[in-house]
Amino acid sequence: MAQNRQSACLPCGKGLCGGKGLLTLKDGAWTNNPLAIQVLGICSALAVTNRLENSLVMGAALIFVCVGSNLFVSLLRKYTPHRIRMIAEVAIIATFVILFDQFLKAFYWDMSKQLGPYVGLIITNCIVMGRAEAFALQNPPVLSIVDGLANGFGYAVILAIIGFFRELLGTGKVMGYTMLDGQWYTPNQLMILAPGAFFALGVIIAIFNWLKGPEVEENK
Amino acid sequence: MKNNIYTLCYAGILGAVCAFLLTATAQFTYPYKQANASAEKVSNILAILKVPVEADADSRRLIEIFKTNVFEEEKGDLMIYSYRPAGQAGVEAVAFPFSGPGLWGPIKGFLALESDLKTIRGISFYEQEETPGLGGEIGSDWFQSQFAGKSIVNQSGKAGITITKSRDKAGQNQVDAITGATMTCDKVEDMLNNAIKTIVEKQD
Repeated sequence: MAQNRQSACLPCGKGLCGGKGLLTLKDGAWTNNPLAIQVLGICSALAVTNRLENSLVMGAALIFVCVGSNLFVSLLRKYTPHRIRMIAEVAIIATFVILFDQFLKAFYWDMSKQLGPYVGLIITNCIVMGRAEAFALQNPPVLSIVDGLANGFGYAVILAIIGFFRELLGTGKVMGYTMLDGQWYTPNQLMILAPGAFFALGVIIAIFNWLKGPEVEENK
Repeated sequence: MKNNIYTLCYAGILGAVCAFLLTATAQFTYPYKQANASAEKVSNILAILKVPVEADADSRRLIEIFKTNVFEEEKGDLMIYSYRPAGQAGVEAVAFPFSGPGLWGPIKGFLALESDLKTIRGISFYEQEETPGLGGEIGSDWFQSQFAGKSIVNQSGKAGITITKSRDKAGQNQVDAITGATMTCDKVEDMLNNAIKTIVEKQD
């Protein structure tokens, strides 16, 4: 079994993550998907998913912050005094979030206006803090990057799916292009509103659990 | 004791590094943000006054058009932007800035009136942090375009505008509210009426 994992992880070549890379990747993006399984960070997931474009940018933001903060928390894990580790984590996370926010404000002004306060609110996103605390503090940097990527990706994909369906059903458009003709399809305003986000997320969680089957119970 | 000192030093250094990074980013992005803001302001005023602008005009061109067609004037604490097309004597339209608190943050915008100073030529919100998809819809075309052609006075001549949920939007000073954004709409209504009050006072 260990052999298998080693060879499965070969693309990275040097065994930088001790052969645990693929498993970490699968864990973050699928088995323990932050949104669909752990149901973390749903506040932002519900708030910005009324358009696919917003969802994609938000997903990108979370991947960036998660990878960056995981890397630095992991690099500093042996030097961080235990008592102030959480404050240190928040400081690192906040730095990355503001970096991304400033970048959006400078180069993607319109998008920044669309997302409003939600980019800044990534600081309080449970996923980022959770990964730093539960994973990056105990694991080496490269593996932590993989974990950050996996979780960010798991979040981003679900966000994109919700965003796609909400925009499609709520406005009849995808990325601003009309998909469902106004002649025979009347956009359902409910999907744009907050309850629509809850329905969409609920359906996705149900599908996710159904696809995954009872495996979760076995793992525990 | 030694432990405490280490902890303090660690916190201090981490804080300093983070602060330095953020300051550097803020400094680096400052000119871009500034340019975005001023180009957006100018293009907002041009759009609201319906000044013809080439589709591919960049920020420098926008500012140039602004300078040759629009005249700024300060009356007390009210800024007035009047559009006098080149080679035409009279003022074609006038724009006024307005602002006020929104649900999440300040809302700022422009209200443009035709030369009769009663009929609304257009409205735009250039700064708002309302909930995307709900209050944020004040930035959308359907909401803003309803204002065009409406009047800032009602049938009996009283100044003010109503953002209403009732089905009857026939009134010359009534526009449709946004579903799910009552708070934002109320606040927008308030700030518009404040602005209209000032404009009407300044006319006398």
